[in-house]
Amino acid sequence: MSVIVRMPDGTIKLMIKGADTVIYDRLEGDQPFKDITIQHLTDFANLGLRTLCVAVTTIAPDFYDDWKELYFRASTSIQNREKKLEEAAELIERNLQLLGATAIEDRLQDGVIETISNLAKAEIKTWILTGDKQETAVNIGYSCKLFTQSMVLLIINETDIDSTRECLTRHVNEFGEHLRKENEVGLVIDGQTLNFALSYDCCQDFLDVAMSCKGVICCRVSPLQKTEIVNLIRYRVHAISLAIGDGANDVGMIQAAHVGVGISGVEGLQAACASDYSIAQFQYLNKLLFVHGAWSYHRLTKLILYSFYKNICLHLIEFWFAILSGFSGQVLFERWTLGFYNVLFTAAPPFALGLFDRWCSAEAMLRFPVLYKSSQNSEFFNIRIFWLWCLNSVFHSILLFWLVVLALEQDVAFEDGKIGDYLFLGNMVYTYVIVVVCIKAGFEMNAWTWVCHVAIWGSIVFWFVFFTVYCHLWPTIDQAPEMVGMDVNVFGCGIFWIGLFLIPLTTLLRDVMWKVLHRIMFKSIHEEVQELEMKHEDPAKMVIKATRKRLTETARLLKNVFTRSTNRMQEVQSEMQPRGYAFSQEEHGVVLQSELIRAYDTTVEKPEGL
Amino acid sequence: MESSSSTDDKPKSRRPKDTRFKQQKLPAWQPIMTAGTVLPAFVAIGVVFIPLGVALLITSNSVQEIVVDYTLEDCRPSGQNISRNYSTCAAFLEQNVGQICNCVIEFTLDSDFLGDVYMYYGLTNFYQNHRRYVRSRDDEQLLGMYKPTANSLNGDCAPYRGFYNSSIPGDAGIPYAPCGAIANSLFNDTLTISLVNGSTVNGSTTHPVTLINTGIAWSTDVNSKFKNPDSFAGTLPPPYWSKPVDQLDPNSNKTNNGYENEDLIVWMRTAALPTFRKLYRRISRTGQFAQGLPAGTYQLQISYAYPVTPFGGKKQMILTTTSWLGGKNPFLGIAYIVVGSISILIGVTFFVVHLKWGHRPIDVIHDINRRTAY
Repeated sequence: MSVIVRMPDGTIKLMIKGADTVIYDRLEGDQPFKDITIQHLTDFANLGLRTLCVAVTTIAPDFYDDWKELYFRASTSIQNREKKLEEAAELIERNLQLLGATAIEDRLQDGVIETISNLAKAEIKTWILTGDKQETAVNIGYSCKLFTQSMVLLIINETDIDSTRECLTRHVNEFGEHLRKENEVGLVIDGQTLNFALSYDCCQDFLDVAMSCKGVICCRVSPLQKTEIVNLIRYRVHAISLAIGDGANDVGMIQAAHVGVGISGVEGLQAACASDYSIAQFQYLNKLLFVHGAWSYHRLTKLILYSFYKNICLHLIEFWFAILSGFSGQVLFERWTLGFYNVLFTAAPPFALGLFDRWCSAEAMLRFPVLYKSSQNSEFFNIRIFWLWCLNSVFHSILLFWLVVLALEQDVAFEDGKIGDYLFLGNMVYTYVIVVVCIKAGFEMNAWTWVCHVAIWGSIVFWFVFFTVYCHLWPTIDQAPEMVGMDVNVFGCGIFWIGLFLIPLTTLLRDVMWKVLHRIMFKSIHEEVQELEMKHEDPAKMVIKATRKRLTETARLLKNVFTRSTNRMQEVQSEMQPRGYAFSQEEHGVVLQSELIRAYDTTVEKPEGL
Repeated sequence: MESSSSTDDKPKSRRPKDTRFKQQKLPAWQPIMTAGTVLPAFVAIGVVFIPLGVALLITSNSVQEIVVDYTLEDCRPSGQNISRNYSTCAAFLEQNVGQICNCVIEFTLDSDFLGDVYMYYGLTNFYQNHRRYVRSRDDEQLLGMYKPTANSLNGDCAPYRGFYNSSIPGDAGIPYAPCGAIANSLFNDTLTISLVNGSTVNGSTTHPVTLINTGIAWSTDVNSKFKNPDSFAGTLPPPYWSKPVDQLDPNSNKTNNGYENEDLIVWMRTAALPTFRKLYRRISRTGQFAQGLPAGTYQLQISYAYPVTPFGGKKQMILTTTSWLGGKNPFLGIAYIVVGSISILIGVTFFVVHLKWGHRPIDVIHDINRRTAY
């Protein structure tokens, strides 16, 4: 890319910027700054900056006149215009004087590197799908640490389906038994090749290769291809996919993924509007996933299991009573107390569980992304756990009903010899059920905030208050005549209070036992973190030791395997790597660079910057 | 002169409020059930429960109770003309529904029943908790509301709502007072007891025990659920009743008659289980029964009118003292002892398990690093 300018004193100069290899080829003889500039370029590249070389030369006027004509003819030729223009440029871009090198920091957003490395620690595979050039994309891959210098890069740039298929099959064979496992390999593929790789006969191979790599970068992808890739993952791999993007071209992929996250901001709100979650910066993905995502998972699992549990517990008691009431369908409880069970008396604990429970503190979740893994494997909600909870519910209902029946078998419940009736038994059972169910919710919560306390104790107290009020309604209000006098008699019964002390405790004994046993013998990593935090110790060492993986011998082996391949582009890449050339400006884009340069008047004084 | 106040406010910030409630930063107590906190609790529970259970068991054992079953053979009719043809009152009643058969049963109290003694009648296989049975009542009628016709009564009372004259078309019916299956099946045996002095052969004397038939129902029922209407005119007793509702208690005028009859009120409190007992009478602590019922032989005089053999039920008369916990039921005491023992057992077992196997993964890694040679 060069410009030819006429200086104020009449000389014609050619100023050129470009990759160091290209410029150095065209330098004139010995230059004093060649070696030092190469040193600078290497330094810049190691810092992750994008570099350019700048050079200048003077053009003799008569040479320029001749060249001008040649250039004009080339630019207006009908056939092979590009080639002729290139040849013309070649003629003039010669005998350059090296001026130096520039380096640009391609600033990623704050926190992107940490976010991506956290994702890797949580064993979330990250793919970058971008419309940028390959060099740019690979650079970004290195600068955000998706690729490390020790990784082997597989680069696939093919122009037709046969070579794509052959290339993919070759890679699959080279992986051998390490296919679909953790390897220190990265994949770079461009949009044109992707067209073929996503076709029906190649896509399985492509997927196998991609799943065997630690990170994948797809460059020059169109929005439709982004959607196709996400669909491929979603339906073939059966993994949960999250797509995050900030532009209108990401809308397709955001909607195709399981979870779509839109970054609202610089490029407008289209991505944010089409997404399930919208955040303002990429680094907020950290907190969205590891704190809120994980918390949400645990809360939901607890909520669902608990809702089934409390309803099975109560309504199974009806069945046990049916055994004693001739299966006539008589309900043990009064109808409105039964109706308000889910609405008033046990409504608060699910709210507290589902909104405020914190499985592990936010700091711990952010520091140790490995804790996220437990929410990825259906560890807390699967068929087995569901049926265990149902079984527990049955057990509780048996204890809650039959213990009370045995305690009241005598019928004589008072010191003055009076007896109770079926509702008397029913209200006692109901009270115990509410106490047990609310306290069980408490056991399932990991963080007792004031909301939880209110939910649990408040629900129990509310039942007592409601019971007292409800039994005095009739006959003023034509409701519940059978409840008249219940509160006085239930609360005045010694068996009731003795049972209140015993029966909930007996019922919940097994639950506590199980939790303690679990903590003693099968302690999981997050329980460790909780305990260490309680003691105000730093869990870092423990977590690192617990998750340390042995260095994969396989990675080193694979490196040897893949360097034997003779993909030319890869070799070119590896030469270019150390000196960091990559410039993202479109060479043949919609707005030509020449137009861009002439777009503003350099003689006008530039306004003061912000 | 420009006004000093600025006309444009700072643009409204869309940042959510940083309160602890909204940002999920509420301070919390973490109930971490480590072995160190829970095991002592288990042992403490055991230590508290076992003595409590023992106390409850002692209380229950101090209650005395005797059950006399008089359904079949024990109740032999005392009247000559009945005993000629029927060996038991039950057999007589099966053939002669609605009649009364009198019999006497002797039973012995082995020890003194000191304190307040209560007399119950018990029934088995009687499902007062059946769904249709429980509904079959009209609470407004029982509260004294005027119900002129059978049709004005609660529909659940059917088929015991009233008497319908089939010859009158569209007859609204004469209401039963009280209506419903519960009232209709009112227990109508009469039980009395007497203490026997000396043997029956040599002309013993019997001292009848005074029984009180009030104060047996829930006071809330007596006060607020059952009230007599001004008059029972225009009503009929339910089909199984032999006397109308305002003559249930011949010994009292109005206080224990009508809907306010406490036997009726006790019966209307439908029992929870198919085997139940209901408070029948209280022993009056007068005369030689001032301390309770002394040990000895007693006679139970029964007016056997309530048929239970058709549905395979049994009838019993029960005499019992009470404690603050109610009747004689060792269950709660035993339950406390069992739960307390289990609790201590769990505490001790888990303590052992914790010592032997309770290694954290970090400790295991440490162990490996220390022990392995390479």
